[in-house]
Amino acid sequence: MDTTPELTTPRRWDPIVKLTHWGVVAAVIGNAILTEEGSGWHIWLGYGLAALLALRLLWGLIGPAEARFSAFPPSPARAAAHIGEIGRGEVTQHRSHNPLGALMVYAIWATLLVVCGTGIAMSGPPPADPFAQRGEHAERTAATGAQVQEEREEDEAGEERESGEGEGEESELGEVHEIAVNLLYVLIALHLAGVIFETRRSGPQIVRSILPGG
Amino acid sequence: MAKRLKDTAIRRDRQALLVAVTVVVQAVAAVFFVADALDDVADAGVTTHIAIEGLIAFALLAGVVLGALHMRVLLAEARRREQSLSIARGALGAHVAERFRDWGLTAAESDVALFALKGCDAAEIARLRGAAAGTVRAQLSQVYAKAGVTSQAALVSLFVDDLLDWPQNAGS
Repeated sequence: MDTTPELTTPRRWDPIVKLTHWGVVAAVIGNAILTEEGSGWHIWLGYGLAALLALRLLWGLIGPAEARFSAFPPSPARAAAHIGEIGRGEVTQHRSHNPLGALMVYAIWATLLVVCGTGIAMSGPPPADPFAQRGEHAERTAATGAQVQEEREEDEAGEERESGEGEGEESELGEVHEIAVNLLYVLIALHLAGVIFETRRSGPQIVRSILPGG
Repeated sequence: MAKRLKDTAIRRDRQALLVAVTVVVQAVAAVFFVADALDDVADAGVTTHIAIEGLIAFALLAGVVLGALHMRVLLAEARRREQSLSIARGALGAHVAERFRDWGLTAAESDVALFALKGCDAAEIARLRGAAAGTVRAQLSQVYAKAGVTSQAALVSLFVDDLLDWPQNAGS
């Protein structure tokens, strides 16, 4: 009674999983392409991403069965068995992430945690005014429209200052941040490759299950 | 019938989505609020203002957790309904097939009888099966004769009577 409907009804991710997934996608794309490194918007978007990640991790503890960590433990042994299945051309339905996918999920989460952690360590709290440059939002309470304009004009100068901050803890954090972000891009590429591979192997359901309304 | 079930499912999905969106927005708001409150603590130390902010931050976080728990209950309920419905559906299908076998319906007659149970009239069945209306009408009367009934409504009632068990406390 518990198992048969699980096997016959295709997997669908719940709305929290979908929203956090696509929210993180939007935040990563936004901070990679649209916002300027170290800018107020970059920090805001980063905090938003951290919040979504935190919610998804909470959901991993209290969510429905297939969203919980217990449904996809990080197990190299299972991943190896799964690779064996792929080699033999067997297709089994997984209630949650497949074992290889699970490893990818944990790798992406860990990388996101490093990215958010180093980002927050560098930026401090989110600036009240996202137009403000990092470190300048201390005077934010007095920020008027004119001042905002001024700060925006200072952007270029700010960048030079950043590259000047070569030494010290800040730049180490910045380096870790950058390395982790580059690792994240690699993982995202692998994730997409995995989705494409699995779609060709076992059908479009895997993509449909994360899409809105799917 | 199937359409109405689907509408209910869509309404339930929408409700779940609304709760989910609220939880996500609350989570984002809570993180910004907590970060801002921590900034204030660093700037000004603990003041009444901070204490109130702390209370609000706690309420926001509690709202996120409670919202998430509520969400889980909603999802579990929806899933249970889906499961019991699919079990009932499977049971009804098996029962119908068994009765058809008992009555000795041919394969074609079984098909026609199934459409009749689903509420199609002879003309519709003929169109769906790509058969002549006369053939379908003849098959339908064969089905009625074998089942010992005289109308489509009576045929349907046979199964309703077999399967419907009104809950004892439903009226009270």
